[in-house]
Amino acid sequence: MSIASLRRYLSLASSISRLVKPSLGGNGYAASSTYALQTVGLNVYYGGRKILDNVNLAVPRNTVFAIMGPSGSGKSTLLRVFNRLVELAPNARVEGRVLLFGRNIYDPSVDPMEVRRQVGMVFQNPNPFPHLSIYDNVALGPRLNGLARNGEELDRLVEWALRKAALWDEVRDRLHEPATRLSGGQQQRLCIARAIALKPRVLLMDEPTANLDPESSRRIEQLIVELRDDVTVVVVTHSPGQAARISDHVAFLFSGRIVEVGPTREVFTRPRSELTERFITGALG
Amino acid sequence: MRVRSDRLLFYALLPFGGIVVALFALLINVLVDNSIPILEREGLNFFTSPQWRPSETPGEEFYGILAPLYGTIYTSIIAVAIALPTSVSLAVFVTDLAPPRLRELFIGLVDVMAGLPTILYGIWGALVLAPFLKDRLMDPLHTYLGFVPLFSCQPVTGYTVFTAGLILALMVVPFMTAVIREAYSRIPDTYREAVYSLGATDYEAARTLVSMIRPAILAALLLGFGRAAGETIAVSLTVGNSASISACAFTPGYTIASLIANQFANAGLYRHMTSALYAAGLILLVIGLALNTAGLYMLARWRKTRVGR
Ligand SMILES: Nc1ncnc2c1ncn2[C@@H]1O[C@H](COP(=O)(O)OP(=O)(O)OP(=O)(O)O)[C@@H](O)[C@H]1O
Ligand SMILES: [Mg+2]
Repeated sequence: MSIASLRRYLSLASSISRLVKPSLGGNGYAASSTYALQTVGLNVYYGGRKILDNVNLAVPRNTVFAIMGPSGSGKSTLLRVFNRLVELAPNARVEGRVLLFGRNIYDPSVDPMEVRRQVGMVFQNPNPFPHLSIYDNVALGPRLNGLARNGEELDRLVEWALRKAALWDEVRDRLHEPATRLSGGQQQRLCIARAIALKPRVLLMDEPTANLDPESSRRIEQLIVELRDDVTVVVVTHSPGQAARISDHVAFLFSGRIVEVGPTREVFTRPRSELTERFITGALG
Repeated sequence: MRVRSDRLLFYALLPFGGIVVALFALLINVLVDNSIPILEREGLNFFTSPQWRPSETPGEEFYGILAPLYGTIYTSIIAVAIALPTSVSLAVFVTDLAPPRLRELFIGLVDVMAGLPTILYGIWGALVLAPFLKDRLMDPLHTYLGFVPLFSCQPVTGYTVFTAGLILALMVVPFMTAVIREAYSRIPDTYREAVYSLGATDYEAARTLVSMIRPAILAALLLGFGRAAGETIAVSLTVGNSASISACAFTPGYTIASLIANQFANAGLYRHMTSALYAAGLILLVIGLALNTAGLYMLARWRKTRVGR
């Protein structure tokens, strides 16, 4: 059997199984949960080391949820739990439940590929594929997942994603140039477009502005707030200021534990924990 | 004080560096000097004629290098055509899929294979692989797919261009795998995470990452081709050593290296043959130098890119 026919067979098989099994994104789930993400008794280990300790969180849908905390507190690890990317590390182990719109994504019946299609991710360093053009970077996800039936549909999807990422006007005339020609801030918005093109229901962002200049950071912060209408955004930041500016809810993570979580205004105006207060005021590393 | 002693060491070791340069210059000088007579005698015909005609009468001698040149390129193309997909697959397997223990074993094994004396490949190729290939692969391919030009002739023995190409493939796989694996395993994790975050399967992720190191793969291809073109003993034991130019891979052929190895001993019996063999050697040197320079240049440029560093 040729690779092409094997792939066709596999995608056929998966669309049949999607008909039979309700998919994660099926409407049956959508109504059942007010939370996009929930963790229940979540522990994560790398080898023997416990990185996340009994994390319990709930991320309301269509909000911006910030995870803040000092370096090494486990923010990136927590984020990677939400799309099962944590499993790429061979020594990682996850305990507890993680509910995506009410369904446990660590249930053995769940396909991690299906989870990742619904939970997009943007990384700390802009990482567009350097061998691909601007267009092909955005088109990669839809191509891998067969989201467009023809070139025209793909063109429309790419344009839509680039507009959502507030990049379209800057790149419309150079879609076929290598992605690496863009500035750092543009590259990061391209990565947002790449993730958005899959029309995910949740968007994870790991310190998306950590390596950008202030002006580019400001644009991306503004973008995050706008994206809230389409997706639920979970954004990791080590900057309390950023969390205050863009988030509706915030969790403060310290040494793998949630110290405090709640509506951003409350946490920032009346922190319940002294540790949180020290972090917010910058008294903590 | 320090500077002076370093100087001293520099001058003390300089001769050793000088020896290498001198040897190389000498080699080229000898090849060129000895090639001139045949090139003056035959001119361009040396390159364009398929005839290789030794004769006791110097006036009737004629040497054309086209058939061995063709054979060199043909066997090398077969070799890299087989070795390239094999090496890429092996690199991906070892880097991404093999459990750590198995990975070490594979890396070690591939290194050992790269270092084996080539005569071993030659003997095994001639005694085991050639008859096996004829009965089990070449005969059936000719019978059922004889309309394909590549398979259009009935193999008479197992000693064919195809057999030599396959042996060469085995010999360059370890080498090409090493180059490709190095590039593949250096791809920063963030790109791996990026592909997987887009819902890619393992296969799709590997395919995307492999396309990312295309320049390194091209470099491996050039370097592998260079190696295959210059390989001598294993080829001359399996290629059949008969001057012919045919599209069919199941005929015996010649390569420049095997021609030189086979003919050098009796070249002294003829007036012009030695010079012809030197000229053949010169061509081999030029091919090898060109391919290796191009390959190494690509590799060096690749290592300066964001992904290759
Ligand atoms: N693959 C891994 N194997 C073992 N330990 C790991 C691995 N990845 C991360 N860690 C450890 O887990 C802990 C939490 O790391 P994580 O990257 O989640 O922190 P972080 O809060 O994102 O920090 P930063 O702000 O520096 O990005 C760290 O001590 C880190 O060393
Ligand atoms: Mg981090």
